[in-house]
Amino acid sequence: MIRIEDIRTQARDILETGEVRAVIGWRRGSRGMAAEPVLISQPEEAESLVWDPTCFHNLSLNLVQERKRLARKGMASNKPLALVAKGCDARSVTVLLQENHFRREDVYVLGVSCEGSGVLDERKLARVLDGLTPDSAAYDGDDYVFQTEEGEKRLPAREVMADRCLECRSAYPRLNNAVFGEEKTRGLEAPFAALSRFEQNRGAERWDFWKRQFERCIRCFACRSVCPLCYCEECVVDSIRLEVTPETTADEKANRIRWIERSASRSDNFGYHMTRALHLAGRCIDCAECERVCPVHIPLRLLNNKLEREAREKFGYEPGASVDLPALVSSFRDDDPNEFIR
Amino acid sequence: MSRQGDWNLNPMSETYEPKIVAFLCKWCSSAGSDLAGVSRIQYPANATPITVACSGSVSPQYVLSAFKKGADGVLVSGCHIGDCHYMEGNYHARRKLYLVKELLEFTGVEPERFRMSWVSAAEGAKFAQVVRDFVDDLRPLGSQDKMRNEPT
Repeated sequence: MIRIEDIRTQARDILETGEVRAVIGWRRGSRGMAAEPVLISQPEEAESLVWDPTCFHNLSLNLVQERKRLARKGMASNKPLALVAKGCDARSVTVLLQENHFRREDVYVLGVSCEGSGVLDERKLARVLDGLTPDSAAYDGDDYVFQTEEGEKRLPAREVMADRCLECRSAYPRLNNAVFGEEKTRGLEAPFAALSRFEQNRGAERWDFWKRQFERCIRCFACRSVCPLCYCEECVVDSIRLEVTPETTADEKANRIRWIERSASRSDNFGYHMTRALHLAGRCIDCAECERVCPVHIPLRLLNNKLEREAREKFGYEPGASVDLPALVSSFRDDDPNEFIR
Repeated sequence: MSRQGDWNLNPMSETYEPKIVAFLCKWCSSAGSDLAGVSRIQYPANATPITVACSGSVSPQYVLSAFKKGADGVLVSGCHIGDCHYMEGNYHARRKLYLVKELLEFTGVEPERFRMSWVSAAEGAKFAQVVRDFVDDLRPLGSQDKMRNEPT
């Protein structure tokens, strides 16, 4: 059981001693019961921090954004930034460190083991509650407890928990400066359960499914924006940084390399989603933020999970396991699969 | 050389010929295809070769782009494991393109459409055979319209 007072005290302490510049955590939001990310720099603000099953966000995204902000202003960070990180979020910090995106001393991880209680899936919840809007959510054993206008409502975790949390393998933040909660994981379903269910479909059925998904994509790029690991300065999709001088001809501008068009068409959406998944191979730590923010509900997690499982089974690679791990696609083993090659 | 009678087995079209984009590494497979040519080995002319520095330099983006532009099949061919001119390029290719292959298959693209082979500079006959097999496997599938650009 995690006590929010412990997290607040720790946040206040590190702000008071000046150990960190600011703490990124969650506070009560303005959208119903959902928590929202907050950056606090004053010790007394620590009281506003919350911890409940609506702390969906992977806050390591803010580390990446802060780094970009500093770089734009030509500033260097003198003190680390602290963030409250669930087990999954801590893994994405690990991957960022592994890729030398920032240094270990630039980040202070206030690890919180959710102990397998996970976070809610708002879409599942909306279906179950059928119009009722809860004011708050809390963990209680195997259930979630919601306060609604019709009084307390109790729902089994299995029904409304986010898929990735149902399949969670490690809820404990191994990378941390301070940690709250016990080292335990519940995992109500087997790892990759949703993926395995989907793979029961035959090839043609899988295509029919993905074809429908890719036709629906509106290319809002929310999946890219929310991903802490999609941090490239220029995305391969954009190709917007062509150096244009007075001598650049119209032909050169028109014929710049465009691997994938930005407009939404099925073939370009296919290319975009394949590229996104492949760029995250061996890096994606399954925080499933891409799927959560998708406005047309494309199950992006399946694509990420597919490559994650291949990496695990065929290359013995676990993303976010250690800072010292080489990247999946820049390393190899003699016994990598070879039988598919003629 | 390519439109010979016994290849016209495709029920969909009498004249259908699969288009293959072949990324061949400069040091082995490209030389191997050259050997097939100078040895006058007969094989289908369906493959358009693109010489790359190393199979390890073949980005997944190349493969996707070829399919997007209408390739019916994509072949990536490099030096045998241990023979890479850059020591380990083909190890990287193997791992990276394995993921591409798996992902394409996962989305329901026919697994026959993407293929890899190791062809050394001395294996002209093998290169011809790889292309022959590829064409034979692609022919029954018909043209690839899952990933190609929609007509505008």
